[in-house]
Amino acid sequence: MNATEWKEKLSAIRDSFSVSIAKKPAENPEALEQRFLGRKGELALLLRDLKDIPLEERKPLGALGNAAKQEMEAKLAELKGSAPAAGPAVKADLDLTMPGWPLPKGTLHPLTHTMNRLAEGFLKLGFTMADGPLVEDDYHNFEALNFPPFHPARDMQDTFYVAAKDQGGKDMLMRTHTSPVQIRALEKAQPPLRVFHTGRVFRSEAVDASHSFAFHQIEGLYVDKNVSMADLKWTAATFMKDLFGSGVKTRFNPSYFPFVEPGAEVDMSCIFCKTGERCPVCKGTGWLEVMGAGMVHPNVLKAGKCDPQKWSGFAFGGGIERFAMLLFGIHDMRMLYENDLRMLKQVNL
Amino acid sequence: MKILYSWLADFIENPPTPEETAAKLCRIGLKVEEMKRTGASFTGVTVGLIEKIDKHPNADKLSLVDVNDGKGVMRVVCGARNIAVGQKIPFARVGAMLAEGELKKAKIRGVESEGMICSADELGLEGYDNTGILVLPENTAVGQNASELFPKGDTLMEVEMLPNQGHCLSHYALARELCLFYGLKLKEARVFDGAASGSVVPVTIEVPDMCPRYTAIVVKGVKGARTPGWMADRLRAVGTNPKGSILVDASNYVMYELGQPTHCFDLDRLGGPAIKVRRAVAGEAFTALDGKAVKLDPGMMVIADAGRPAALAGVMGGQDTAVSDDTEAILIESARFSPPVIRQASKASGIKSESSYRFERATDPELTLKAARRLAGLILEAAPAAKVEQVSDVCPVKYLPPVIDVEPAKVNAILGTGIADGEIYACLKAFQPDLKDSKPWKFTVPSYRQDIEGICDVAEEVARYVGYDVIPSVTQMPMLPSAMTQLWTLSSELKTTLAALGFSEAYNYDFLSAKELKACALAPEAALELKNPLSSDLQYLRPSMLPGLLKTLRYNLNRGRESVMVFETGTVYARAGEGKAEDTVCAGLMYGDFPENGFWKGGQPRADFYHLKGVMTRLFAGKPGFRFEKPKKAPAYFQPGLCLEMKMGGACAGYIGKLDPKAAAANDFKDGNIFCFEIPLGGMAGAWKTEFWQKVPRIKSFSSFPQNWRDLSVVLEERHEWYDLEKSFSGVQDLASARLVDVFKGKNIPEGHRSLTIRFTFSSMEKTLNDAEVGARMTAITDKLAKNFGAKLRA
Repeated sequence: MNATEWKEKLSAIRDSFSVSIAKKPAENPEALEQRFLGRKGELALLLRDLKDIPLEERKPLGALGNAAKQEMEAKLAELKGSAPAAGPAVKADLDLTMPGWPLPKGTLHPLTHTMNRLAEGFLKLGFTMADGPLVEDDYHNFEALNFPPFHPARDMQDTFYVAAKDQGGKDMLMRTHTSPVQIRALEKAQPPLRVFHTGRVFRSEAVDASHSFAFHQIEGLYVDKNVSMADLKWTAATFMKDLFGSGVKTRFNPSYFPFVEPGAEVDMSCIFCKTGERCPVCKGTGWLEVMGAGMVHPNVLKAGKCDPQKWSGFAFGGGIERFAMLLFGIHDMRMLYENDLRMLKQVNL
Repeated sequence: MKILYSWLADFIENPPTPEETAAKLCRIGLKVEEMKRTGASFTGVTVGLIEKIDKHPNADKLSLVDVNDGKGVMRVVCGARNIAVGQKIPFARVGAMLAEGELKKAKIRGVESEGMICSADELGLEGYDNTGILVLPENTAVGQNASELFPKGDTLMEVEMLPNQGHCLSHYALARELCLFYGLKLKEARVFDGAASGSVVPVTIEVPDMCPRYTAIVVKGVKGARTPGWMADRLRAVGTNPKGSILVDASNYVMYELGQPTHCFDLDRLGGPAIKVRRAVAGEAFTALDGKAVKLDPGMMVIADAGRPAALAGVMGGQDTAVSDDTEAILIESARFSPPVIRQASKASGIKSESSYRFERATDPELTLKAARRLAGLILEAAPAAKVEQVSDVCPVKYLPPVIDVEPAKVNAILGTGIADGEIYACLKAFQPDLKDSKPWKFTVPSYRQDIEGICDVAEEVARYVGYDVIPSVTQMPMLPSAMTQLWTLSSELKTTLAALGFSEAYNYDFLSAKELKACALAPEAALELKNPLSSDLQYLRPSMLPGLLKTLRYNLNRGRESVMVFETGTVYARAGEGKAEDTVCAGLMYGDFPENGFWKGGQPRADFYHLKGVMTRLFAGKPGFRFEKPKKAPAYFQPGLCLEMKMGGACAGYIGKLDPKAAAANDFKDGNIFCFEIPLGGMAGAWKTEFWQKVPRIKSFSSFPQNWRDLSVVLEERHEWYDLEKSFSGVQDLASARLVDVFKGKNIPEGHRSLTIRFTFSSMEKTLNDAEVGARMTAITDKLAKNFGAKLRA
């Protein structure tokens, strides 16, 4: 008998076992055991035939035969209505403290986790996701957001210009914030509108522990009839609780962003303060500056083809890196762009 | 902006303490970023003379010093190294108030000290050498009160200024804010209030839209007038170096005090003399005060004399007409300029000044005369013999303040509050004391508030007045449906699966160097370029994710890691005619052992093409129409012949392959076994369904009869590819799957051939197949293989 014939025979035995065991009503399991697995059973005989096969081919066949045997035993045990009896006590040579199979483990980036979480927070509050390009035109990035040409507010955001022209022949730029998406969303759909966006933005700034020329922002916009700053406060507070826990408090301070009026800065109560120590995170103030917010400026509504007499809205947003650094305890923003696997592999979430 | 507390307090009756002032400013949106004590706030310190120095009996590093403070000789223990006999030093007697508090009597290493020789730090003085005790000038009188040697104690605040706070850019302006919002009483500065009817210098404004108002005061007999010490101290404190000449220093002083930039021309150097406010003529020569030659253009406004430009309006005065120590007579300029005109001129000339900074942010139209008078007054105080010969105020465009109709209900609607009408009225009344109480209130915006345009701005002022905490945190927002974008969902699905398969997510920057592009066979000419990159290393917008991933690989290999599996999802950019194109790409690479960490059971192969192919097969599992194909045109950074294209229906779903050896070498990798993939999400988005109802698979029915399998080993020429073999099995009856389980070359296999072992599984929907039936199907397969591929059964 050569190897191929042996394998065919094994297949035939397995097939006939499968047929027998599937029969209804069921056959006597003891009889089946005798027929296939017994000392003179079909499989036992076949295994004995292995001795006639050349040595180098014998080993894989033996493995196949044994696998078939185990499979049959298991099925028979099932038929008998009893799982295989617990084996003898664990052999001393099986050291169960040895490591398990090293299944590959990858991780998502801390910024992705943070953005995902923030996006979920927005979804829960009925915000739908909107999109916009990273290479923007001056109109969407500045002018429509109430940064007139030659206004000092433009100094707030150092801009990278790109060697490409927009439709009006003006130089395009790397968007300096996610707010152009407000205009793009309003251009696409009329209110009531509740949208959010998260993504990368760029500022021409040198890189250090708390600055980067590329970073990420998240931004929400709600335009409807009778939207008020109280709605904004509730939304911002709910949003922050979603991220930092229900114990977190928020407060508003007057601030300025050209595309909102009134404008506010959102602080959250510091969750890192320990009693009796000067907190290094909030520098002992008890509060952390986390977002900018405000009521959509009438000029922005007009740019979005909405009548400010009829519609009002709020907008708020913040930097993802800041949230991620607070959450993951990262003190240097550069760590988020080094891609050191010793850091990334720790992000088990 | 630096604000000196004492200067601010000049304008408030019963001013709050520095700490209260800072808190009050913060509450109305003027963030005090830093507070610093300045000057001498210590008491009980006199100038002492070191007469004798002995060693401390019990300590090597301490000395016993005899100090004469004019009243007697005291014995003091001192640890400083820089003491010497004959030095004049600040000496604190027991009971003196120092930076850290009251000085108490102390016994140091067994010797009683009757006072202390102080360092600058101990006195609370900033800006002095602090390595030892503070050594005073030799000519200082022994016994003098040491605090008289330094500026008075004060507090310096650094206040963050936002671009809309043009009305806050001076000490007076912040005092005005504090008084308005906290009901304090504002005090005015002393000004020269005399009249002078002379018209020494005619003033003409040719461009009233660019310069609506120009105030000029002519003062004669100012020669040699010096800046008083108190003014110099204040200027120094806010960060300006006083020049000593009152003409320069007082002009700066008025700007920091009132917020109005002013300028003094040397009258004798003004041609005419005349003042002409006009557009610059192209090519006109002008050298600014700082020596910089400026190319003028007609977009700029100049203050000219009878012939040439004497100042780049609002930005900087000219060198030719600048005041000097010999100046006898001056013309003080105090004007209102159009903010965008000044900003453009400042940008175009490359000159940023404290003056242009304020004009860009809009100055108070009604302030020009007051500021000019204040400046004249300060000069007259320093030069009592001087005379004012002309006060003229040319105002071709009268400033008309906007009047806003304020309905309290509207304010409450914006804020979501229930603030009482009376409180809103009180706020407006604080701005405009003569406001009449008949609704809608006719609110005349104060001239200094150029940023208030409408009801939203008024609402903000009311919120600042009552405090932002009054706004409640409540909502009645209606429900609205929400969803993610398809791109986000698709990219999240890929990310999650890749992470589950062992890939870690990287975030690289979007900007690359020409070198990095070339190392990956990417042409810089085809890439989008930044016009103002931070450096040439960050000049191009990435056209591919690969250079970033290779950087990540190198970074980790350099830190001792041996296996790297990373991916990144981000934007890639390209030129598109004059414009640009963007796409989102998910890309990754694997290098090293797979799985990454060795296992005690053994088996740790190096990652290869088939590992990556397996990852992709898993990533796209169940996606309709997914397949691998030989690429028609693969990206140049893949090794030719070791790359496959992925397709979903007709759409390209990306490429997988081995990094081209040239690219590996150009990127300094010794081992080129780097396997990469890239998936363009934009092109595939139509084929990859993300909506739940669309992507759920329809479950196919399967046989209720047992299945059969057979293994078949065949030998055939190597040129025949598995893909073609697999295709040829289609149509074999009841064939459920054909799986490649072994590939063998070597012993007993002819050269150029290989042996494939294929496991065929059969399953019929109707019955259990018997041996003969399975055998017949296997024969059909064997025949096909023999006929199409010349395959022989392996012996």
